[in-house]
Amino acid sequence: MLALKSDGHESVANPLAGESAEIRLLIERVTHYLPAQGPIEVFVHHNTLHAFEAESFHDAVAKGSDRYHAEPYLSLAEYRRFYNEGRITDVDLEAAVNNDLGEDWNHEINGLGTRSEIRYAMLRHAVQIGPDAELRWIVAETDALEKFRTKATEINRTRIVLASQKWLRKVEHSENALSKVSDLVGKFGHDSARWSDSAWEAFALHLLWRICLQGVEDHSAPTESHGFIRPRDLLLHATGVDIDRRVHEVLIRFCAAYVDQGYSDWILPNRDQGFFESFCQLFSVHVIGTDRWLRHLPRELSDLIEGNISAEDSIVASLDEFGVAMEDREEFLSMSLLSLGGWAGMIWQLESGVDWVVHAIPKDSLVGMLAVQLILEKHAVLDLGKEMYRDTSQVGKILHKAHQQVTSPEPLNQERRAFLLFQVAQMLGWTPLELEQLTQPQWQELSTEVESFSAIHRRRVFHEAFELKYRRAALDAFAIHSARRRDVTSPWSPGRPVFQIVTCIDDREESFRRHLEEVQSKCQTFGAAGFFAVAIYYRGASEGFYKPLCPGVVVPDHYVQEDVGYTFEGEYRGRAELRRRLGLVSRLFHTRSRTFTGGAITAIVGSLATAPLVARVLFPRLTAKIRRRFGSLLQPPPVTQLHLERFEAEPGPTGDHIGYTPEEMAEIVVRLLQDIGLTTTGEYARLFIVCGHGSSSLNNPHESAYCCGACAGKRGGPNARAFAQMANDWRVRAKVKALGITIPDDTTFVGAYHNTCDDSVVFYDLDRLPASHRNDFESARDEIEEARRRNAHERSRRFESAPLSISAADALRHVEGRAQDISQARPEYNHATNALCLVGRREWSRGLFLDRRSFLTSYDPSQDDQDHSVLLRILSAAMPVCAGINLEYYFSCVDYTRYGSGSKLPHNIVSLLGVMEGTSSDLRTGLYQQMIEIHEPLRILFMIESTPEAMLTIMKRNEGIDRLVRGNWCHLAVVDPMTSKIEVFKGGQFEPYQAGASDLPQVDASYDCYQGSREHRPFYSIAETEVAR
Amino acid sequence: MNTVAAVHFLGALVVASPAVLLASLGMPLLFGIRLSEESQARFTKAAVLAGLLGAVGMLVVMLASGIRHVPIEFGNWVSIEQEHFHFHLKFVFDRLSVPFVILSYVLCGTVGAFATIYLHKEAGFRRFFLQYALFFLGMVVSSLAGTIETLFFGWELVGLSSALLVAYFHQRPGPVRNGLRVWGTYRIADAAFLVAALTMHHLTGAGDFDGLMGAGHWPDGVAAIGSWPALVVGLLLLLAAAGKSGMVPFSGWLPRAMEGPTPSSAVFYGALSIHLGTYLLLRVSPLLDASLPLRVAVITLGIISAVFGAFAARVQTDVKNALAFASLTQVGIITIEIGFGFHYVALVHMIGHACLRTLQLLRAPSVLKDHQMLEDAVGEHLTGDLVNPPQVATRFQRWLYRFAMQRGNLDAILDDWILRPFTKTFELFDSLERRWTDLLAGESSRESDRLSPYSESLEDVA
Repeated sequence: MLALKSDGHESVANPLAGESAEIRLLIERVTHYLPAQGPIEVFVHHNTLHAFEAESFHDAVAKGSDRYHAEPYLSLAEYRRFYNEGRITDVDLEAAVNNDLGEDWNHEINGLGTRSEIRYAMLRHAVQIGPDAELRWIVAETDALEKFRTKATEINRTRIVLASQKWLRKVEHSENALSKVSDLVGKFGHDSARWSDSAWEAFALHLLWRICLQGVEDHSAPTESHGFIRPRDLLLHATGVDIDRRVHEVLIRFCAAYVDQGYSDWILPNRDQGFFESFCQLFSVHVIGTDRWLRHLPRELSDLIEGNISAEDSIVASLDEFGVAMEDREEFLSMSLLSLGGWAGMIWQLESGVDWVVHAIPKDSLVGMLAVQLILEKHAVLDLGKEMYRDTSQVGKILHKAHQQVTSPEPLNQERRAFLLFQVAQMLGWTPLELEQLTQPQWQELSTEVESFSAIHRRRVFHEAFELKYRRAALDAFAIHSARRRDVTSPWSPGRPVFQIVTCIDDREESFRRHLEEVQSKCQTFGAAGFFAVAIYYRGASEGFYKPLCPGVVVPDHYVQEDVGYTFEGEYRGRAELRRRLGLVSRLFHTRSRTFTGGAITAIVGSLATAPLVARVLFPRLTAKIRRRFGSLLQPPPVTQLHLERFEAEPGPTGDHIGYTPEEMAEIVVRLLQDIGLTTTGEYARLFIVCGHGSSSLNNPHESAYCCGACAGKRGGPNARAFAQMANDWRVRAKVKALGITIPDDTTFVGAYHNTCDDSVVFYDLDRLPASHRNDFESARDEIEEARRRNAHERSRRFESAPLSISAADALRHVEGRAQDISQARPEYNHATNALCLVGRREWSRGLFLDRRSFLTSYDPSQDDQDHSVLLRILSAAMPVCAGINLEYYFSCVDYTRYGSGSKLPHNIVSLLGVMEGTSSDLRTGLYQQMIEIHEPLRILFMIESTPEAMLTIMKRNEGIDRLVRGNWCHLAVVDPMTSKIEVFKGGQFEPYQAGASDLPQVDASYDCYQGSREHRPFYSIAETEVAR
Repeated sequence: MNTVAAVHFLGALVVASPAVLLASLGMPLLFGIRLSEESQARFTKAAVLAGLLGAVGMLVVMLASGIRHVPIEFGNWVSIEQEHFHFHLKFVFDRLSVPFVILSYVLCGTVGAFATIYLHKEAGFRRFFLQYALFFLGMVVSSLAGTIETLFFGWELVGLSSALLVAYFHQRPGPVRNGLRVWGTYRIADAAFLVAALTMHHLTGAGDFDGLMGAGHWPDGVAAIGSWPALVVGLLLLLAAAGKSGMVPFSGWLPRAMEGPTPSSAVFYGALSIHLGTYLLLRVSPLLDASLPLRVAVITLGIISAVFGAFAARVQTDVKNALAFASLTQVGIITIEIGFGFHYVALVHMIGHACLRTLQLLRAPSVLKDHQMLEDAVGEHLTGDLVNPPQVATRFQRWLYRFAMQRGNLDAILDDWILRPFTKTFELFDSLERRWTDLLAGESSRESDRLSPYSESLEDVA
């Protein structure tokens, strides 16, 4: 039957032995293109185009666009909308065009205009061009040859019509030239003197068109070389049948079963033996009624098993069968894998990186998957060949027939190029007379110039202009604001701040901090990566397992556990047992409700489900309250403590191995205090709050993406709690003092946790708060209470279901409702709209309205050493993380179907690892549509309070930062607030920035900045409130 | 007299609410008026509340007055006397339809409320709610139908809206293809239904269920037809029910139907429309008493479907598929119950199952979190290599796994035995025709083969 008979195969198996190693190398290379997202339980934001990180941004997006068929930038229509709305101005556009052209911008093309003029015109006016069918449609539907483009200016119209009249007069005497247009003249009547204006218009345009067409006809366009064409694409084109559909249906089911982490009741047989082996054994069994195209599969697989053929050998055989040339192999394999990239990526992650899943998979699973995919593809092709060409002999023959069948229709290449020139001519007022005089090389030059400014290139320039606008606004705003701040003394001087708080650098904490500073002007806020230098494996009292709470790149070696104190231990043991039993029963119910025996249960208790069903959908907040009330019976007691101190030498997960030694604690405390630049004794307030953050929402498989990025997509409360406990320990303080930082004795640290979804703030270990600090704490708590209300109000303006006139109290209720609503697809907007990262002292940015678009990292250059080691330490963590978040948003936003995970609505959790769209699709990675809908794709701008020299040494020392900055994956500016001097990194070096704007509107409160608008808001300066409450 | 008037008013309210909703969502679209999300949500809420109050009121009145059977007549809408054809619109409130219509109202209402938030800002919001209203009307009409033609009418509305909702994400090929598949399967069921309706008309002279059931109201009716006609009509109706409820051999469409947005999958396949088939069987249950072979057939189909569903559900690795097959199992069990004549048990089971499944489907995106919470509660991993160490699978185990994984190959079998012969036959006719016309014309006779879609030059199109 098939070409791959075992005996025939074995004879070639040995020569292939060397090849199989080569195949593995190829596959390993190809894996770089696969999405790097691991199990959805831990969602770490990262650059979607990590495969092209070594290249520069614009090259990378172009390559990504080729490789993944994804959009590199927003669409031209979108940029043009920005342009019409004034979000991109002519100044930005001109600057971007000139920037892009470099020194060539003034080069004149045949006396028709400079390069930058031509490009500028092509950007300002929509150039319509497309595939043949679209071109025809445009010409027919827009009367392109009858009427001028609507945007063509009056001057240009007159110019062209007058020139045409002149042209006609000129040729009227020469029969030869006239014959070219005799049909045209005939169309409007032979007496041109009686032509109406519209007839002249049409005549002029037809003439212009013919001249353009003739002009480009004389030289040939550079022929596009077609790369390798995937057999599936060829067959789809030739026959209209997509073999991927069949292949994927089988493969998706198998992949899902293979990586399943325990959702299905039955485990895939022999999954421990590997993908290929398991598949061969499972599908070599004959089952009645199997799909027609798979009927020969069992025999082939049995042969493979008997012949002891490895996956690599099978791939080599398939490659031969498909007739893939040596040089096309990599391309073919990468195309095949990427056709189901989500699953391939997950398998690769599980076999190569992620080691914490409960069902591990053996090495070489990806090789196996590819082998299986190719075998299935072969069978699909053979079956298709039988249907279409009555030929089942060989894949190669079928492909050949398909190739013959594809008759490429006569493409309108000439017309397309002419139409492009035709449109540009109208916009720039090129007349038929001028154009007719061009020589052939001149035509060549003109047409090349216009064509080289391709659609993707136009989008790139538009994008640069769009970013430039925001970047200028941000830099100007900072320059003006910091200049203003120089004249403002801090509200607490000469005394101490009322309290201090450090939050995560997260952009969502920007507004929280701003509101807090407005509520209590004598409070001082800091920003540091949300794990607060406490990198731990943590286990809560009600949790079963340790989970890492630290950035994804760090592997913690310390363990911290939440303990129930002596008082409640007995009671809690009872609760834990009850919870355990309830857990087992509920698991039994969940699984049984899906089985045969579940019938009885369903019939009896099914109707009872109506109550939670209706309640949860219609009254989410009330239901949440009731659930909390009952849930509290099972939760740990209200008072717990952290098991933080270690008594054994080696850290470990059990007993006395848990925790840190006081020395280690002191190091952590010193590190954070140095990072935020709080090292002088006199600067400490009596109360210092350490506030971690996280997010909770219901019915949201991507919940982890909303939590703290610095805590591996978990909630950062325990880190804050641990830090506060360390810093309060007098032994630690003594050691900290020995290291050079004296924390005043009357300073107390309190841990807290901010939920960015429902804007709640809870505090830890208040029982340990000294009585002396009770009043300090209570007033601080009241102020935080007010700040979170205002924060909820500012956030609510983005939610269309909250009216713009909503009060602060209602806004808080609104966001609380969102967090508890199972039907809510947008519990919060997460990092959407992020565009900035400020690294420096808060004094300078305090009161600058950043619209929740900026990460804020505290750093005091005056306290850094010669080597800028503190800055290096901060940026090594902050830059990759912020840029990763920013770039993931960028790519998911410009193409949410390819780079993102599509719409959330049909998402379907599979294998407890990820989501599919519907019941059978590729595993979807990236962010979903509802998450990015208010985002604007801008590369992040890092504004760092430092010097160019310091940044250059840091780039030299940290390869990752260097790649980001030099590859233009982000923008970088260093600022000196004392002089408001800004230098931006451009083309490999820092250049002084010329401030554009000189005014920044000043308002009294954040409320005035955003009230009544759902859109992005400009920068504002908020005046420091003079009187504290 | 007063009670009768009240009952009629309530009945009309129950039927009219969804119809008014459909009109108020659909008519503005026809005139190009684009209703806001809020007003659509408000209309939906009002219609559901009004109808639900009517239905509950009806229940109260029926309980209080002891009336167990309330027919509401809308007369003959089409009547062709010579052909003995009439389209008789009649609704019946009785012990079967009242609970079912209340269930429809509660679930449709809940899902409507869910969808208003879930589909917020979605481009297809209007389309979804229009189709939702269509489905809602179909459900209410089918639950209350008093004649077989009324039932068919409601049944068609449900089928149409279901297929459209499966294909809701029409920018992707998968959902559209699956929507078509669902539509195709429904056509088979509908054909069987239609033949059954005609046969019934032929046998009893009317499509009224009363005539069919003879004396007594549900579930005490006694079929007024003989054993053989009962078997024929019953088997046709069983085929129709199997198609609508996704029972063997039509189960293939069930998982495919899960392509729509979560709330639509929830209410349709998990909860309501999957029960329409069994509801039909319940409605005509007196037929079962008239024919023992029919009873055996019903029970057999129920057993096969339940067992098949249970196996298939065990290998599913994703939530929606697992729940789809779990629903099939329960529907199979309900069918068995009907076969054995446990009418009330089946009714209670149906209602319980519908509610539970809706809740499970709406909470489907939470399974990962639920799983983690359970593991935390129990304090150990519930699955994994340590809990379930790898074992060597026997050939039978592999066979069974494969059978379940390929969902019994039901789709492939339908394709091979129904679809393929069908298309092959028509392709044969096509080639015969072509051959003949070519022969007669002496040349290639299909002009369409030679037509190019475009003219030659761009200037010509202008």
